[in-house]
Amino acid sequence: MSDLWAGLPPAAQDILWTVFLLLPALVTGALILRGYAPFPLVRAILWRFRWSSAMFVLLITISVGMGIGLMAQERGLRRGTAMAADKFDLIVTAPGSELTAMFAAVYLQPSDMPLLSGATFNEIATHEAVDIAAPLAFGDSFGTAPVIGTTADFVRHLSDDRIDGRLWQTHEEAVIGALVPLALGDAFTPAHGTGDAAEHDAHEGEYLNVVGRMAPTGTPWDRAILLPVEAVWEVHGLANGHAPARGDQIGPPFDAAFFPGTPAIVVRAQELWANYALRSEFTRDARTMAFFPGTVLANLYRVMGDIRQAMSVMALVTQILVASSVLLGLFILSHLFRRQLALLRALGAPARFVLAVVWSFGAVLLLAGAALGLLAGLGAAAGLSAVVTARTDILVTAPLGWGEIHFLAAFVSVTLLLSLLPAVMVLRRPVVDGLRA
Amino acid sequence: MPETGLPLAVSGLEVRSPRGRVLLSVPSLDVPAGALVGVRGPSGAGKSTLLYALSGLIGQATGSVRWGVTEMLTLGPEQRAAFRAASIGMIFQDFLLFEELDAPGNAAVTALFRPRAERQAMRARAVDHLARLGLDGGGRGVSSFSGGERQRVAIARAMAAEAPILLADEPTASLDRAAADRLVDDLVELARDTGTTLIAVSHDPYLTDRMDRVLTIENGALVADGAPA
Repeated sequence: MSDLWAGLPPAAQDILWTVFLLLPALVTGALILRGYAPFPLVRAILWRFRWSSAMFVLLITISVGMGIGLMAQERGLRRGTAMAADKFDLIVTAPGSELTAMFAAVYLQPSDMPLLSGATFNEIATHEAVDIAAPLAFGDSFGTAPVIGTTADFVRHLSDDRIDGRLWQTHEEAVIGALVPLALGDAFTPAHGTGDAAEHDAHEGEYLNVVGRMAPTGTPWDRAILLPVEAVWEVHGLANGHAPARGDQIGPPFDAAFFPGTPAIVVRAQELWANYALRSEFTRDARTMAFFPGTVLANLYRVMGDIRQAMSVMALVTQILVASSVLLGLFILSHLFRRQLALLRALGAPARFVLAVVWSFGAVLLLAGAALGLLAGLGAAAGLSAVVTARTDILVTAPLGWGEIHFLAAFVSVTLLLSLLPAVMVLRRPVVDGLRA
Repeated sequence: MPETGLPLAVSGLEVRSPRGRVLLSVPSLDVPAGALVGVRGPSGAGKSTLLYALSGLIGQATGSVRWGVTEMLTLGPEQRAAFRAASIGMIFQDFLLFEELDAPGNAAVTALFRPRAERQAMRARAVDHLARLGLDGGGRGVSSFSGGERQRVAIARAMAAEAPILLADEPTASLDRAAADRLVDDLVELARDTGTTLIAVSHDPYLTDRMDRVLTIENGALVADGAPA
């Protein structure tokens, strides 16, 4: 049996799991409603208690929306951050915090980091297993766009070689990310530093021309301006990585004696398996630290997972409270409607028919609230994703996933079963008491 | 149209309160099929309790209530409900309608729990009875109806099932005189035309005077049984 299940495609498993979760409610509904037509009465009750019903639907909508939104948003964030780190197989920095280094190198969050020497860079760049070794030089900006010095190989790798225009051919040319508010042919002067602390006239007289624009990557690099690393060093009055005789050279190899230092080196191995050997080789006490951003993210997700669990418990508690209040509301409403329900019994309605009326009333509220909650949750997640994307430039999307569908199916199924309770309670009341109420 | 009403035979009927006080005691009562019987007495005497006991709505009643060949008090709750659905139409003092439904919807409300094949015919009968009672009422909720109109909807509801028994609890109490008189005329005419056994609890002499016989109940006991005064 488990082999059969394991052999099913994931989508089939998800569909079957959804059906399994809904099955108790579907079977209950079929058994209760079979052969009866309670809906004119359900409509009548809904209309009579329209404001109370609307309030219950709103409560359920908020509760379900919170759960759905939380799940979709968390998954969207995880996927967005993972995709943003996709191009960064291995990063080598000076020893320190992997998280800080990852935020600086992958997500372009400004941070003071110790520099690696030219000898270290050359050792990495000339390693037989290394395909790309790109120094990163942070610290300058233009407007809100960080200005990053690196190599042409890395720009090709980052953009999958999808560049409108061309790569730089001189130290005075730049390639911009897809969202940078500059056009091809524009010239600009970078400021020293970033944000409010930026010194706008520190590099006065330095002009850089935009010659290419990367296709969108869905990462913070879409708002970055990329220069030859030599240009960054030059505007700071440093050596440009090459001996004066080869001062116009762009990109590796660099001359260790003229290499001012780099806070991070992005490494791509020729073969995937080689990354592990490179990480081991370049993790050296007091000299270098090599790490996989994916592993750092996985650790981060583990912490986020704990937070998600805590939030999920909160959302679950909220739903239990809301479901309880809905059940309580059903008790109250069925009490208000007890004369009409007693009348049905007096007219000869079977207990199952009265059960069908009360249960269908609750089911309409629950299903309407669940459907609206699904829409509200996805809407909230989409809105939050847009805000996160705008603030971090990490492309976060939160489409509907099977997790949310399973959550919704379980909520609907459990609450539909629980809504039998008010219906059963109604039936336990003496008919004559109801008629005289 | 039903061929005839069902006869009623009651013996040793007793209804007690949860604390054991006797609320109603009827040692013996026979009503022939198709008879029109009024029940009168002071408020709280047990008239409505008698009606509810006859309809099988009081679970703790003891003794015997036999409608035709059916012994009501030995039936379980669902069997009693099924008997009511098939054989008893009920009319209440304050109408007990579904305010949000229109007149045909109310008159045919019992069709909702009938087998699908019977529903259409029952709705048609409900509309016929409404027309006979001077109502069409389609399209607007009964909340806009007068008291007399509402009670006629309740009568149409009771008659739509072609029940051989009609139990009415103070059917004219909420109506003005003119509406009450017209309703009594309609009710009596319908019952006689269809051969229905009618038992009506009422303080209204205009109604009790139109019955074949009148029972008087005081303090839970049947103290008189005879022709209308």
